[in-house]
Amino acid sequence: MSERWVLAALGVLALGALAVPLPIYALYVANLLLMYAVLAIGLDVLLGLAGQFAFAHIAFYGIGVYTAGILGNRLGLPFPLPLLAGAILAAAVAFLIAIPALRLHSIYLALSTYAFAAAAQWVFHSWDSVTGGADGLRLAPTRFFAWHIIDDRDAYPVLLGIAIVTIALRLGLQRSKLGRGMAAMRESEPVALASGIDVRRVKILAFTISGFYGGVAGGMLPLFQSYVHPDSLGLEALVVILTMVVVGGLGSVGGVLIGVVVMGLLPELLRDAAVYRELIYGAILILAVTLMPRGIAGLILRAGK
Amino acid sequence: MGLVAQAVASGIVTGAIYALIALSLVILYKSTGAVNFAGGDVVMTACYIALLVLVGFGLPYWLAALAAIAGLFVIGAGFDRLVIARIVRQRHAHNSLVALVIATIGLSDLLKGSVRLFGYTDNVQTLPPQFTGPPLFLGNVILLRQDVGIVGVTCVVMLLLYAFFRFTRLGKGLRATADNPRAAVLIGIPVQRMRMLVWAIACGLGAIAGLLVAPKILMTPDMGVIVILAFAAAVIGGFTNIPGVIVGGFMLGIIENLVGIFISTAAIAVAPFIVIMAVLLLRPQGLFGGNPTFRKV
Repeated sequence: MSERWVLAALGVLALGALAVPLPIYALYVANLLLMYAVLAIGLDVLLGLAGQFAFAHIAFYGIGVYTAGILGNRLGLPFPLPLLAGAILAAAVAFLIAIPALRLHSIYLALSTYAFAAAAQWVFHSWDSVTGGADGLRLAPTRFFAWHIIDDRDAYPVLLGIAIVTIALRLGLQRSKLGRGMAAMRESEPVALASGIDVRRVKILAFTISGFYGGVAGGMLPLFQSYVHPDSLGLEALVVILTMVVVGGLGSVGGVLIGVVVMGLLPELLRDAAVYRELIYGAILILAVTLMPRGIAGLILRAGK
Repeated sequence: MGLVAQAVASGIVTGAIYALIALSLVILYKSTGAVNFAGGDVVMTACYIALLVLVGFGLPYWLAALAAIAGLFVIGAGFDRLVIARIVRQRHAHNSLVALVIATIGLSDLLKGSVRLFGYTDNVQTLPPQFTGPPLFLGNVILLRQDVGIVGVTCVVMLLLYAFFRFTRLGKGLRATADNPRAAVLIGIPVQRMRMLVWAIACGLGAIAGLLVAPKILMTPDMGVIVILAFAAAVIGGFTNIPGVIVGGFMLGIIENLVGIFISTAAIAVAPFIVIMAVLLLRPQGLFGGNPTFRKV
């Protein structure tokens, strides 16, 4: 079974949900998964494709959420302008932190980007006049000219469209010269450099693209949720996305999407067992890295051979 | 002036704790290449083990402390044996750091989850101080006995650790393994057992830090976030230069308190992150001229 089949199956499921009148709760969960899909795919561009161990992704997501939310609230801009503005701002910030990050690698990169994400969360928490600070921010319903996106049923097709476009772009990236450059850089920077790849440029682009994806995912939130709190933009949230990518399979789009579905449904299934949430997450993380180093994608590929 | 002197004094006390936790992170990084994101949860777990033995079983304090240190020693060794050893065996070069970090994040969740299963986390708890008595006065600076004890114990632990790595056969073997694992294997050092020992020692160090800090703070299962300050201290020392890391710990404790006085108490929370970013961007090798790192092609 190849990655193509996984993508096709997920695509059929997602499109099929349009035809079936699903209960609103199921649609909410589906919307959440679509947002996580874009978020995780974006993290994977940096982590899985380009091999850069950076932790700032949750900050890009936060920038997307707050930019889109504030533009939607205060200026009442029609969709998709708030989302695009958030994504562009997140990409710009990612570009700016990529330049100093070029000098850093492995844990130094991980720690500096982690510190950046934590500092960004502090800003969301403390910049009361703009972000609403610790009270959180109410997100006004998104408007597409006369059409108001009010509930999860309205939002689902829009979110699905965004997810399909971003996933298609990610697949295109993998086949492009830039994507191959990223993969080469992941395997060995000196070898990539020696074969004529402009490692600096590829690295900066990997950060920027990843930041853009994070911003898009952030801009998706106001479409189906009416509230955001800075506590949801910290290390815990980062670990959730990281888990999706690692459990699914670093560098594999199909794998990451499976990871999103599995890890995204888990909290819904564990609703009654919240006490054991951390134990279960911890166990999954440890089992994933010890028993399936290439994630669920690795298992599927092995089974297909 | 008195305010600043007092702030520096209490900064040295919290700095000692940061230095101790940072030391546990750095000896692990130097000899195994792993960055322990569960470093703070180790501290937290030790506090709750001590509380369980002390309050739950009603045993004396020294036994509780011993149980906490021994417990974490075993957890560290077990984690290496069951998890780290498997990851190291996989050898996916560019993935191994990611896998090691994810594994420690998993450990962090496991420790927090396990501690929450016990009833002690419903209420905020604290451990009794090890050093009691009237406070000491140094000029116009007031020093609690516990604070003096913390700095004293930290210094003793560091000296013992130094002596262990410098003079004992085992410590030399550990250093050899850290410097060059392949050469260490060739001269007959059991590298895997060494790595397990480092994990055990690192977690034991975290336990000592936990016992020292518990009387000063309120215990919660989320107190492991203290590891951020240890990361910042480790970064100041370039993550490899042990004296630099210790100085970094003390510096950070003092910086934190001064930020609280001169900037704002809200800024204390963000200070360690600013320190981490500033040091990594301006002097990634640490403030004390540690060796710049070279990578093999």
